[in-house]
Amino acid sequence: MSARPEATSALARLQPALARLPGTRAWQQWRAATLAQLVADGLPTPRDDSWKYTNLRLLERRELATAAPRPLPSDVLQALPAAQGPRLVYVDGRFHSALSDSELPAGMSRTSHATLLDGPPPPEQSGPVDADLRLRSLNLCMAVDGARLLLAGGSAPARPLEIVHLHTGGGAYPRTRLELGAGAKLALIEYQLGVDPADAFVAAVTDIVLGPGATLTHTTVQLASDRAVLVDDTHVSVGRDARYSHRLVALGGQLARFDLRVDLDGAGAEADLRGLLFADGTREQHIRTLLDHRVPHCSSAQLYRGVAGGRGRGSYDGKVIVRAGAAKTSSRQSSRNLLLSKDAAIDTRPQLEINADDVKCAHGATTGTLDENMLFYLLTRGLDRQTARALLTYAFVGDVLKCIEPQALRQMIERRALGRLPAAETIREFIA
Amino acid sequence: MSNIQKGNSILEISGLKVNVQGKAILKGLDLTVRAGEVHAIMGPNGAGKSTLSQVLAGRPDYAVIAGHATYLGEDLLALAPEERARRGLFLGFQYPVEIPGVNNVYLLKAALNARRRHLGLQEVDAFEFLAIVKEKMVLMQMDESFLKRGVNEGFSGGEKKRNEILQMTVLEPTLAILDETDSGLDIDALKVVANGVNSLRADNRAIVLVTHYQRLLDHIVPDHVHVLAGGRILKSGDRGLALELERRGYDWVLEEANAE
Ligand SMILES: Nc1ncnc2c1ncn2[C@@H]1O[C@H](COP(=O)(O)OP(=O)(O)O)[C@@H](O)[C@H]1O
Ligand SMILES: [Mg+2]
Repeated sequence: MSARPEATSALARLQPALARLPGTRAWQQWRAATLAQLVADGLPTPRDDSWKYTNLRLLERRELATAAPRPLPSDVLQALPAAQGPRLVYVDGRFHSALSDSELPAGMSRTSHATLLDGPPPPEQSGPVDADLRLRSLNLCMAVDGARLLLAGGSAPARPLEIVHLHTGGGAYPRTRLELGAGAKLALIEYQLGVDPADAFVAAVTDIVLGPGATLTHTTVQLASDRAVLVDDTHVSVGRDARYSHRLVALGGQLARFDLRVDLDGAGAEADLRGLLFADGTREQHIRTLLDHRVPHCSSAQLYRGVAGGRGRGSYDGKVIVRAGAAKTSSRQSSRNLLLSKDAAIDTRPQLEINADDVKCAHGATTGTLDENMLFYLLTRGLDRQTARALLTYAFVGDVLKCIEPQALRQMIERRALGRLPAAETIREFIA
Repeated sequence: MSNIQKGNSILEISGLKVNVQGKAILKGLDLTVRAGEVHAIMGPNGAGKSTLSQVLAGRPDYAVIAGHATYLGEDLLALAPEERARRGLFLGFQYPVEIPGVNNVYLLKAALNARRRHLGLQEVDAFEFLAIVKEKMVLMQMDESFLKRGVNEGFSGGEKKRNEILQMTVLEPTLAILDETDSGLDIDALKVVANGVNSLRADNRAIVLVTHYQRLLDHIVPDHVHVLAGGRILKSGDRGLALELERRGYDWVLEEANAE
């Protein structure tokens, strides 16, 4: 018995929803044209090189339109650690003032993406949209709200800013823009959090611009519902002597993908990216990074760890480009992946494209099982097999976990990550 | 454990044949070890000394194709590695494994409690454990930074060997098999390690020293010395045999065996 194919694609079924979206007539026209182009192009597929490891076909049966606001459970934020600083909460892409703090970090101002909908839309796309940009394009088509944040030059709030994206089911199109002025310094903690059992589709877009000498530590904690499909596209421009650190902890979702593009745009710019992906059960966790060294004297480091168990799937697809003239570039890229079962799989593709002389680049990617010598050593000390395996798995992800700050967040993540391991209880005492 | 008396059989190996990656390494090995004894197994490089040690600890990829090993009356080869450890069999590795990210002390505490559970004793808590381990660290002349480090992580060769002996003194095994614990140690470290081993000599346990050189035996005097070569125990004797091996090498033992 074969399933009856959907008469229309999930994207085509979005068309009626456009009429309900706010904005000028020009925006309405832009949306209609953009969606028509997306319907013609279709969602990216593994035939598109940048989507080689991610298959979105399960979206075809999903509802992509954003649902009308519905009441939230009162304990909806209980899954998160206590707020480390001012918190902005978006529910299915819409600002939720009751759950949010009214005060922002000192030196920060906020407007909404909604105000842009009163102005002119972007120029219309002519011809097919690059597979890389289609979900961005879909996000802009559907987004009705989103934070536009500016941290004034020289500001350095003591506490982190938190942005919580809640998904309740159906489409969510969070859109965030953050700009740090010269010398500004900020810690941003972003949560993607599902309200169970949300059958959500989340297409998030984040744009970050770091002015000269600015420092941003950006932590993304992905706790989407088990049935959610989440694609997150983040684009960062790092200015002269600025520093961007990203920490990704991907724990949730049915299928989640994180696209991170970092442009090192000013001399002395630095990027330090670390991430941890857990694909247990039938979960899929994908990460794709693009590090673009555009000018001399920049450095980038990537350290990703993936763990897949059950029938989990994952991928690391990371590319470093060193442009002509970007001398004195230093770039390190490491992806190590651990398979806990025979049916789990993680693909890796580290790519290095060097067009300049006098650069230092190192990259490596490995996928393997637990080290048999380590396992045997632990067994000869009397540990049972399950505990030994859990310990080694935990140790494997330790060097990413230990650099997550602040401590309350790290502890929450350790607890969550532990919960995903076999024999979590038995190794709790090992984690001091 | 306390009901083991001097002279009781601890380990009996007969006709043990082991293949490693399809190659015959042990070809019918016999050995009996009794409570209260210290045995030294000597032999040329590549003779199979580590293979024997690892097989006794339960290494899964070494195939036992014939023979028996009885440990405290049980079929040793039928037990999983962790079951052997909990019954008091301890292997000091020739090459201790580095396990970054797994804390040295937590591992040792878990190891001790696994053993205690098996013996029906109450588990020690973190506080009691620290008292035990600190006392043993004094004996092994190890400083307290070891407590915080990952298992063998970044340890020098000598530090790794000390750590193995520290583990042994805390776990108080019934049968300790120490594989080349002396290699890579300077004379001071050798004395410390020998002290640790000697502190464990008792009527109710046995120690098997696997070594290439006889110098360790100046500090830990064995009751029995065996030559492992050609996949078998070719010759056994007392301390004098070790001294003779040092003077004459191993070839004469092989020649003697071939002549038979
Ligand atoms: N993992 C292995 N793979 C292949 N050969 C091995 C392996 N381990 C040991 N051997 C071989 O088994 C033989 C015995 O080695 P070993 O037991 O380490 O000797 P010893 O400890 O007496 O020096 C040697 O010939 C060695 O090359
Ligand atoms: Mg050896």
